[in-house]
Amino acid sequence: MLKASFVNPFVKAATEVLQAECRLTMRRGQLRMTTSKATSNDVTVIVGVAGDLQGIVLYGMSERTAKALAAIMSDTQVPIFDSMAESAVAELGNMITGCAASGLEAEGHLCQLTPPTLVSGRGVMISTINIQHLVIPVETDHGTLEINVALRNGTVPA
Amino acid sequence: MRVLVVDDAAFVRAKIGRLLSANGYVIEEAENGAEAVSKFQSYRPDIVLMDITMPVMDGIAAVRELRRLDPGVKVVVCTALGQRAMVLEAIRAGARDFIVKPFDNERLLAAIERLANHG
Repeated sequence: MLKASFVNPFVKAATEVLQAECRLTMRRGQLRMTTSKATSNDVTVIVGVAGDLQGIVLYGMSERTAKALAAIMSDTQVPIFDSMAESAVAELGNMITGCAASGLEAEGHLCQLTPPTLVSGRGVMISTINIQHLVIPVETDHGTLEINVALRNGTVPA
Repeated sequence: MRVLVVDDAAFVRAKIGRLLSANGYVIEEAENGAEAVSKFQSYRPDIVLMDITMPVMDGIAAVRELRRLDPGVKVVVCTALGQRAMVLEAIRAGARDFIVKPFDNERLLAAIERLANHG
């Protein structure tokens, strides 16, 4: 069961990280649930979560948004979404998830994270998404960042 | 003053490298904990800046290995994982300071300078 308490730390983390790293304010869009296993954006950053909560968190965006965020983070022009730009956007997902993990810890869920992985292209199947997950659209001046939270309680009942 | 910057993200290594180079530090890079341990022995840095979540060998394991090689090693952990439990684990492993990403440049420089000057 996906709990709201799993989700709120990601909204707070996105707000803080986008402000600190990209000098951007954000507006949260309409939440929705999905069971889709396919990526729906040009660029998707995947971070695995283990520990008290298990699953993955996806950060999806258009290539235009990814290039704009990478440009702000790098203080340089990003005409091509190259490996350094990919690394910047992957690190953004890593930082948001890490910040959210602190919020989850405060609610009693101690989690470990995997290094971020970046996937390019829409319709790429993520086979490890096998639960209903929540999509949190985060609107910025440079486009939408979609946070997909696919987490479940990792504690196995005795 | 030589600093070994350990992070699996090329973007982070480049960003920190630019910052520290502009402030007079000489930089070497490693992409994971295992590479950091290898380069530590050949490069002999004065300070190690260490990420935690990395492939091959994570930062906590690397800090423990560096401490085994050199009990006086000066490590600053710089990670997106700011959980209280992670801070305690890093300090127990031997880290001298802990910085959470996204970091403030002045905070990072202050941590490096403090270790460089006072150890």
